[in-house]
Amino acid sequence: MRRRACLALLLSGFFGLWSLPLAAQAPEEPAAYRTDNYKAPTPKTLRGAEVVTTAEAYEIWRKKGAVFIDVLAHTPRPAGLPADTMWRDPPHNTIAQAHWLPEVGRGELAAEIETYLKDSLSALTQNDKNTPLLFFCRRECWMSWNAAKRVLSYGYTRIYWYPDGVEGWGEAGFPMEVTQPRP
Amino acid sequence: MRKAPRLRLIRPLAAFVWFALAAFPVSADDADTPSDATWNAIRPAIFGDSAIDEDPVLTLAAPKRAEDAALVPIDIHFALAPDDRRTIRSVTLVIDENPAPKAASFTFGEIGRTFTLSTRVRVNSYSYVRAIAETSDGKLHMTKAFVKAAGGCSAPAAKDPAEAKANLGQMRFRVFASSGKNEAQVQMRHPNYSGLQMDQITHLYTPAWFIRSFAVSQGDKLLFSMEGGISVSEDPTFRFTYAPSEQPVTVSAEDTQDQTFKRSFPADGGS
Repeated sequence: MRRRACLALLLSGFFGLWSLPLAAQAPEEPAAYRTDNYKAPTPKTLRGAEVVTTAEAYEIWRKKGAVFIDVLAHTPRPAGLPADTMWRDPPHNTIAQAHWLPEVGRGELAAEIETYLKDSLSALTQNDKNTPLLFFCRRECWMSWNAAKRVLSYGYTRIYWYPDGVEGWGEAGFPMEVTQPRP
Repeated sequence: MRKAPRLRLIRPLAAFVWFALAAFPVSADDADTPSDATWNAIRPAIFGDSAIDEDPVLTLAAPKRAEDAALVPIDIHFALAPDDRRTIRSVTLVIDENPAPKAASFTFGEIGRTFTLSTRVRVNSYSYVRAIAETSDGKLHMTKAFVKAAGGCSAPAAKDPAEAKANLGQMRFRVFASSGKNEAQVQMRHPNYSGLQMDQITHLYTPAWFIRSFAVSQGDKLLFSMEGGISVSEDPTFRFTYAPSEQPVTVSAEDTQDQTFKRSFPADGGS
């Protein structure tokens, strides 16, 4: 009996250790945009948007049921950097045929970034706010959550948020391609 | 009889562990684990096809996990054997995963056979930090350390722009001889903007602006000079082996906006 009790105690300790970070994995959905520390566990929900799994995202992709938008940040070669400075810009592999709109997933946008987002959406949807849009970046990346939330506020009506992003897609072996930011 | 209940507990436990691992797999391109892939890609652009050995002429100390990714302390130490007739010409500091991986290169004057140089750098994501020394026979020798730090290049400056401008170019020279160490430290005020830091008001990147060259001389003899990049931390600081002489110490620097800074200090640091 004593051994069993010890084991139970040990296991409850083990489960306790695991369940704490698990509970922390999915924070409550906040009311406002996330403005820093973007690489962190995301909520399970986004009010007004449909949250999709990898399998669901793939079905949408296969049927061309939405415009896929990757919002992962991209650091451009900085202004002021001497011409002879070696700059590493690793290729960005994303979901095939997705459009990459970097920087639009931050919590606060410079006016020119917001204009870029709005103009890009108008072009990609042919000014039809009922065009389904699917937002993603990486797993545990708030930028896609922010971007989907922001685009809902512009009056777009059919928004998918795909939190597992390029990692989920890549692990499932679905088609990917190297892409460049949309100009 | 006693094993049954234990098994009943272990099975769900195993399932749970499997679930926990399957649900949160570590992505391959997160680069959380040390890899030479980036190094192999950037090495030719920095060192051409020169051979690089791992001859222990130098050591590099860096924290395994940095407290502040924008201020990661790096100590480079080299000690040539007494019967080694070579000298150290230069040391290049490379941070593989930083967008501009070549962090700094240091050239040394006639500084003797042992020398320690410490500075602080920005580390943008988990990365090897490497020091590659060139000895006077033209050979290259490398040492490396893996540092877990992220966001160092984009972390907002500690000092606001007005404060940084007001104190721009101020220098401080301290000698630690009284504490029994043959070391001195030079500190210079400069924001050393990386170009990856976002302005908190405009939400746009602040252009890169940093110390391009830096030199410390004792009398007319060079102790060391540096060609720096965006990975050197705000307010560049160097601590180095130093034996006071009669000669004053002169520090000169030039930034990427062609501003020059120069100051001389008494050999003992003075005031």
